[in-house]
Amino acid sequence: MRSDIAVGAILLALAGYIFLTASTLPFGTARVPQTAFFPKTLAVVLASLSLVLLAQALAGTKVPLDSDKIGSAGWFRIGASLATLIGFALALEPLGFLLSTFLLMVCLLRTIEAQSWGKVIAVALATSLITYGLFAWLLGVPLPAGVLGI
Amino acid sequence: MDILANVGLGFTVALTPTNLLFCFLGALVGTLVGVLPGLGPVGAVAFLLSLTFKMEPASAVIMLAGIYYGAMYGGSTTSILVNIPGETASVVTCLDGYRMARQGRAGAALGMAAFGSFIAGTFGVIGLMFLAPLLGRAALSFGPPEFFALTLTGLTLVAYLTQGSMIKALVMAVLGLLAGTAGMDPISGQERFTYGTLTLRDGFGLVPVAMGLFGVAEVLDNLARMGSQSVYETKIKGLLPNSQDWKDSVRPIARGSLLGFFLGILPGPGPVIASFVSYAMEKRLSRYPEKFGTGVIEGVAGPEAANNAATAGSFIPLLSLGIPTSAIMALFMGALMIHGIQPGPLFIARYPELFWGFIASMYVGNAMLLVLNLPLIGMWVRVLKTPYGILCPLILLFCLIGVYSLNANVVEITIMLAFGIGGFLMRRVGFEGAPFILALVLGPIMETSLRQSLLISRGNFSIFINRPICAVLIVLTAAFLIWPIIRPKKERINHSAKVTK
Repeated sequence: MRSDIAVGAILLALAGYIFLTASTLPFGTARVPQTAFFPKTLAVVLASLSLVLLAQALAGTKVPLDSDKIGSAGWFRIGASLATLIGFALALEPLGFLLSTFLLMVCLLRTIEAQSWGKVIAVALATSLITYGLFAWLLGVPLPAGVLGI
Repeated sequence: MDILANVGLGFTVALTPTNLLFCFLGALVGTLVGVLPGLGPVGAVAFLLSLTFKMEPASAVIMLAGIYYGAMYGGSTTSILVNIPGETASVVTCLDGYRMARQGRAGAALGMAAFGSFIAGTFGVIGLMFLAPLLGRAALSFGPPEFFALTLTGLTLVAYLTQGSMIKALVMAVLGLLAGTAGMDPISGQERFTYGTLTLRDGFGLVPVAMGLFGVAEVLDNLARMGSQSVYETKIKGLLPNSQDWKDSVRPIARGSLLGFFLGILPGPGPVIASFVSYAMEKRLSRYPEKFGTGVIEGVAGPEAANNAATAGSFIPLLSLGIPTSAIMALFMGALMIHGIQPGPLFIARYPELFWGFIASMYVGNAMLLVLNLPLIGMWVRVLKTPYGILCPLILLFCLIGVYSLNANVVEITIMLAFGIGGFLMRRVGFEGAPFILALVLGPIMETSLRQSLLISRGNFSIFINRPICAVLIVLTAAFLIWPIIRPKKERINHSAKVTK
């Protein structure tokens, strides 16, 4: 399995990285274990496990995965949604909760499975207002006001 | 008499109007989550965790528990009607439940699933009531070595019981433990792996990580395989199973309840395994095993009973030992700790109203689900028809707000998205999120108990084999690790693959 070889290599590198990062912290002794004791031990365990994974993958004894191939439409939906979510995280504080939630919903509703514009606007408006009311008023969560000022 | 007084106390807590309302809400949301394929109980509990901050601790656990067992009910509805399991514990219900629906016996299947769940749920609660205090008392003598061994055995068993590759599950567990070390050293208070950020000083938050792995990743997975689904149009008539159905189902329900309860106590996805084992057992015991898969009611009643009894059983290790055994129990532990309540051997003695109120609410909730769900099945079917194009944006929005409302911190949204992407990619190559979440929560317990043990023994590792309980657990752990090498579990994988199809 090619993917297992790649994952095994990445995990091995990660284990090495964690081990090195933890080396800046005191390890202590078995008698008095310190801050780096547990992470370093885990890094060694992780490295051993990734070696087993690599060995299994190279020997080709692994059972096949049941996940099927993702088509280009699927990748588009995933990419577009992720971009929208990251955009939301960036826009939340400058734009404010209401506006960014509205935009988030518009983008998601259009890209995942293009709904009609009327439906998009209606659902986006309703969800942003309802969630705002629920969280800001009912639960008293401080939501960023942003450019709209509310 | 003691128990009666305690149960009485429990009902005075559970039957207050507020707690009744939260029990109802939990059961309702749970059923909804069970019905909708895009979101599982873990994601829902993670989302609602942020809403429980301002509640009384009792109301919080009552509502969250309602979600958990409500999801078990809801999941079976979609298995039977549409052949789509709402969550994994209802996968086997598809086999005979959907066949029954195609033969026009959807009502009997749904009814028996609900009654079986109710009977088993009640049985499980009674078991929990008797066993948890016993185990809690026994655990009072546990020291750091025992707790270290328990966490180690728990994680290994979770990996051993996984349906995919054990090595991959172990990798996820170790990664989770590593993620759990970020933040302050639990003993010396020194910071590690915080990369100078304030957010990571308290470590990775359970909610952002859980929402990422079980909310965002789940939605991404759905986006990848989005296709058209058809709801089987059928008139559901006669929800009451007839007397022959009852005669066929009584024994499977009784066996499923017992089996599920004890499998639920063990670490791992108890309800899922319980339903699979129950199905296999009923098939083996049946006088007509060849008919299984063509729509026999035993194949619905047994597994449905088993998965509900298992939900009750899975609370035992958390409440009496303070050790969560599955992703969802890890979230329950988080919910309790937010309120400053440490589950463990002293939990029941210290918070009797909370423990008994919670138990009583599970009786109430199970009864509520039975009364509510049978008439509401038509509504759930309509909910199921919500197109993905609307459902997915809504779930993503809930994840974003749920995480943000915790601490009003955008960095936590970033953490959630990172774990969402990571979790999705890992899932594509066969790594599951559940061991990770569990290990994230167990990590600090494991590290503290390991280091304390070594301090006690002056660095001598034999402390873990010189104490009897500890030694048994260590031997078990070794057995779980070595057994798959001696006997690869090809059979089980083939079996579950067949069942899923």
